[in-house]
Amino acid sequence: MTDLPATVGAVWKQESARIVGGLLRLVHDVGLAEELAQDALVAALEQWPASGIPDNPGAWLTTVARRRAVDHIRRERHAPDPAPLPEPAEDDVLRLMFISCHPVLPAEARVALTLRVVAGLSHAEIARAHLVGERVIAQRIAAAKRTLAESGVGYAPSAQLSSVLEVVYLIFNEGYAATSGTGLIRADLCLEALRLGRMLAVLAPGQAEVHGLVALMEIQQSRSAARTGPAGEPVPLHEQNRGRWDQLLIRRGFAAMLRAREVGGPAGPYVLQAAIAVCHTAEQTDWVRVGTLYQALERLLPTPVVRLNRAVAVAFAHGPQAGLDLLDELRADPQMASYHLLPGVRADLLVRLGRLPEARREFERAASLAGNAAEREFLLRRAAGVDVPEERGRLLGAAVESFLAPLGPATARAYGQTLSRVARLAGERLLLTDLDPARLAEIFAVAWPGVSPRTWNRHVAAVRSFAAWAGAPSLAAELRPRPVTAVPVVPAVAAPVPDSALRERALWCLLRDSAAKVGAVLALNVEHLNLAERRTHDASIVWGLETAALLPQLIDGRARGPLFLSDRRPGPGRPPAPADLCPETGRRRLSYERAAYLCKRATGHTLRRWVSRADMARTP
Amino acid sequence: MRYLMMQKAGGAEPDAKLYADMAAFVEELTASGVLLATGGLDPDGFKMTSAGDEITVTDGPFTEAKEAIGGFALIEVRSREEAIELGRRFRRIVGDGESLIHQVYGP
Repeated sequence: MTDLPATVGAVWKQESARIVGGLLRLVHDVGLAEELAQDALVAALEQWPASGIPDNPGAWLTTVARRRAVDHIRRERHAPDPAPLPEPAEDDVLRLMFISCHPVLPAEARVALTLRVVAGLSHAEIARAHLVGERVIAQRIAAAKRTLAESGVGYAPSAQLSSVLEVVYLIFNEGYAATSGTGLIRADLCLEALRLGRMLAVLAPGQAEVHGLVALMEIQQSRSAARTGPAGEPVPLHEQNRGRWDQLLIRRGFAAMLRAREVGGPAGPYVLQAAIAVCHTAEQTDWVRVGTLYQALERLLPTPVVRLNRAVAVAFAHGPQAGLDLLDELRADPQMASYHLLPGVRADLLVRLGRLPEARREFERAASLAGNAAEREFLLRRAAGVDVPEERGRLLGAAVESFLAPLGPATARAYGQTLSRVARLAGERLLLTDLDPARLAEIFAVAWPGVSPRTWNRHVAAVRSFAAWAGAPSLAAELRPRPVTAVPVVPAVAAPVPDSALRERALWCLLRDSAAKVGAVLALNVEHLNLAERRTHDASIVWGLETAALLPQLIDGRARGPLFLSDRRPGPGRPPAPADLCPETGRRRLSYERAAYLCKRATGHTLRRWVSRADMARTP
Repeated sequence: MRYLMMQKAGGAEPDAKLYADMAAFVEELTASGVLLATGGLDPDGFKMTSAGDEITVTDGPFTEAKEAIGGFALIEVRSREEAIELGRRFRRIVGDGESLIHQVYGP
């Protein structure tokens, strides 16, 4: 009375990685290997109802799949007896993982392909976990196989362990980030990631980072029952009911941590993150140690989140003032300018220091920078909860509004761009009298690093005009206009970027730096970029310092949507696909045609030629 | 989902091959994270009964030797079918006998 398809499915999930990995050794093509394995699965569904489930179903599937592979090779070579075939080996599965996580593939393709060929999930299961249609997943996987076949990755052994770890952790986080509603389905992703991680630990036991990743996932997963409240709301770590933590998983996490320590070597990012997770399992968190671990992690991964977390740990270990000092260093970093958690954490520390009026303004500033509505609401509630008397005096945001109101539309728009950005970064509810020239200069440096002198001067003029109107001309004292004479913006390299508008310069620079396909660069979204590491999150496109200086201005505080935008909003006749529309400006993605035209006009070359020149410039 | 597999005592006397096969099986399942906990049970045991305010402790054994539970394994799997597959592999190693398998609810 067992359900046959379900049994075949269960056997498949346990055996698929070994079967596909073994076939890959024979045919050197992931797509083909998986098709041959699927043939064996179909054969099982046809034959088992009559013959009964074999004694060793896994071995049965392996034999049939292997036979199909041999037939295929024979047909290909038109030879009755192919050379003796290699026997399955221990590292088949590991190689399969390296290939399905290969950096030539975009991140989401790596995730889907790994879930498919290594974890043995069906298209429908993967689609459900990602909340997309089955077709989308099928196409994504087909495209990934094609890319692998075309790029000739085939069966080459590769040393990209970090890429495999990244994919496994990505799968885990996709499951872990979902907290409610559909969360139940997505929790499966966490378990799949754990399975993949443990599999990897068996296959590559000499790698401390593998054990570190497993430890990190086990310990995070141990809290899965405790991290949401009865209504599905997230419960912060230190308010969780420890009784609901899964002690079995914690113990396994500790065991993985010990294995990582036995391997030795300098601690990598996963071992460090696991060590931090271990600290948080203690009854009393050792914040000094957490702070030290974050400091080490920051050297390897200087992301805004890590740096912010370090400041939080330091605040717990050495008092809020010490944390605040660290945060003030971060405030000068352009990368952090529009990161809402920075003022959010700052506000928390200010509350603890009893500096309530400042705390309230920081909460409000955080709310105005927050990208999602739930978070914004939460921050505004926190702001309202800070008990301070209503301040008397003129607020920056209101002052800017009344300054702009009587101006003509063109001037108001030009000044408005500058002043609303200043107000957003300084805090709309900052008392005008509390804004000082030094802070204003700091805001300028953060908001407009490396802009052309002309643009810089436009911003300075706007603020000067506002300061004079507000009766405090000394406010702009530290803002100096810059000489507009031909300052070379671009260092002399073989393919200098012509002086043109910011968007064009950023595009030419990025094309030249990365030598990536024009289509791929135009398809970038703001959320794909890892500005700190000067690459996309999937590392498919990497850029240099010059591009890095231009991108923050180009992004100009946007949190998502197409990176390169067209100049105008789309007309009503031809609405673009939602993915090509910027949710914040309403403008559409820059098209290839338009980019080609701009390139021709600015450089005299076609796009194709510009990109190949760029290639030449990169290779000495 | 988690399942508790309970093995009834009795069956063939374990030999060296069974020990080796079982050790390999346990090691594989532990490494892949499927096996959460396992152990053998003392056939004697003791029983506690509460009635009203009174709690009595009675020493075992209580059932016929072949009905007693001799060992258990707590496993983490994706589906009932996976539990069955693992049960199948286990029974093939230990030979004639019986297992009882229950899904464990929560956490």
